[in-house]
Amino acid sequence: MSSSDNGTNPTLRLQGVGKWFGSLHVLDDIDIDVKTQEILTILGPSGCGKTTLLRIVNGLILCERGEISFKGEVVDGPRPEMAMVFQNFGLFPWKRLDQNIGYALRIQGREKGEIDRLVSHYTELVGLGGFEANYPSQLSGGMQQRAGLARALAAQPDVLLMDEPFGALDALTRETLQEELLRINEAEPKAMIFITHSIDEALLLGDRVLVMTPRPGRIRFQFETGFGRGRDLEEIRGSQRFQALRHYLWEAMRNPDEEPEPIPELVLE
Amino acid sequence: MATDAPAATGISTDERAFWERIKEPAVYVRLISLFVVIGGWELMGQTGNIDPVTFSYPSAICVAFWDLIASGQMVSAAYESSQILVAGLLIAIPLGIVLGILMGRFQIFEYAVDTYVFALYATPVVALAFPIAMVLGVDFVGKTTIVVFFAIMPIIVNVYHGVRNVDLSLLEVTRSFCSTEGQRWRDLIFPSVVPYLVAGLGLACGRALVGMVVAEFLMSISGLGALSQDYIADLELDKGLAPVVLLMVVGIALTKVVNICETKFSSWRVRQES
Ligand SMILES: Nc1ncnc2c1ncn2[C@@H]1O[C@H](COP(=O)(O)OP(=O)(O)O)[C@@H](O)[C@H]1O
Ligand SMILES: [Mg+2]
Repeated sequence: MSSSDNGTNPTLRLQGVGKWFGSLHVLDDIDIDVKTQEILTILGPSGCGKTTLLRIVNGLILCERGEISFKGEVVDGPRPEMAMVFQNFGLFPWKRLDQNIGYALRIQGREKGEIDRLVSHYTELVGLGGFEANYPSQLSGGMQQRAGLARALAAQPDVLLMDEPFGALDALTRETLQEELLRINEAEPKAMIFITHSIDEALLLGDRVLVMTPRPGRIRFQFETGFGRGRDLEEIRGSQRFQALRHYLWEAMRNPDEEPEPIPELVLE
Repeated sequence: MATDAPAATGISTDERAFWERIKEPAVYVRLISLFVVIGGWELMGQTGNIDPVTFSYPSAICVAFWDLIASGQMVSAAYESSQILVAGLLIAIPLGIVLGILMGRFQIFEYAVDTYVFALYATPVVALAFPIAMVLGVDFVGKTTIVVFFAIMPIIVNVYHGVRNVDLSLLEVTRSFCSTEGQRWRDLIFPSVVPYLVAGLGLACGRALVGMVVAEFLMSISGLGALSQDYIADLELDKGLAPVVLLMVVGIALTKVVNICETKFSSWRVRQES
């Protein structure tokens, strides 16, 4: 972490972001602050512009309205302080696993010794030790996404952008990776925007959950999950708070036009 | 695979694999076919059904082949031919790669040259032999140019398609990690083009061989083309066909080399189907 704050100042700020593809209005007036070390999960129906939002944050495409700033600087293109984990993994099929994981470091022109050290550290961290010489096609989807995660982490970004990273995986692999992501984030905390269409995933991983409307995507509501750090996912799953929030989100997703009965003990902004 | 069968019959797995391969239709149908065709042809020659003035048969061609090698004629003709073949390929391959890449990656360049490229692609190259001879002469330069025209088209077209078919989601990955244009070529574009290029090279080698013989027939006569033509004109059909056999062997060998390159460069694909 380059900043000396205690994890409460916004690292990333989106102000009034609006996006059109031709005449298709995809995003409308999005305001989001992501604090240092905060995990923000974004939940929204398919096609509401979640991927588009993440691409804008990453600087891959520009928005017609509004502005993104990272530590006070306007984002007008990709920058090394942010790293993306892609839904379809985005690994180079002709590169071995270690080459894929070290990709961002080589792009940044780091020294060979440093690259080797970081690659082996992050390969171990995501549990891929021993598979360095394999090509992506020789690995399961879960292992490929571990590699995608390791590649992003190895770049040592301040912000991790994740676009439904576990969406293509089976339920069991998905749960394992959720646990591991939290464990890894515990060890090396950083700000994270995690997009998902799974209610459970949004609640389990997020410090804050943000729900979007159907297209054009707007912020519908957001709230702190309040499960705290060092959370035990099994314990959370069994908790009343989790069940209540889950039910609330379920109702909200089912009826995009009306807000469900608020839960009194939760502060919903 | 049943593992108990070899133990029961006392046949080792190696032997077993051999007999299983033999039983494959691909192997025995080919062997039988070769035996029937070559054997039948030979038999007709041996029994005097082939007039040696108008045609020949396998054993006679083999003997002629050996005679031509022993007399040094085959080697010097092959050396002469290979000069225009190699020179033509050495020009066609890099030039084709560069043109294909430029057309695939830069829209302006594509618009500027695609009319000519696709017009040439549609034209039978043999028809270009005479205009080329008029402009560049009938010797080394003209002949090499014919080989270049024959060989370059599949390279340009394949490389162009390879560049065009670069995975857009991987292109986004390179952008997301702040890759420079040069790094993007190294990490993404060149590796995606390789399989297309290798397939193009396979076609190019075959066509270069055709171009070489066409050039030797239609322009100043030389090399293996000349050797073949001279003997056929002298009604020595066995010696006239021997260079053709050599061309056949070279063609097969070139295809094999390209196949080996293909496997080597796509080792990462090997287990993709699992
Ligand atoms: N490059 C593009 N050009 C035109 N339309 C696009 C493009 N990318 C996305 N869209 C459209 O924008 C809308 C939102 O897409 P996306 O951000 O992928 O949604 P989500 O990730 O929430 O499912 C969709 O209707 C999609 O068809
Ligand atoms: Mg999406």
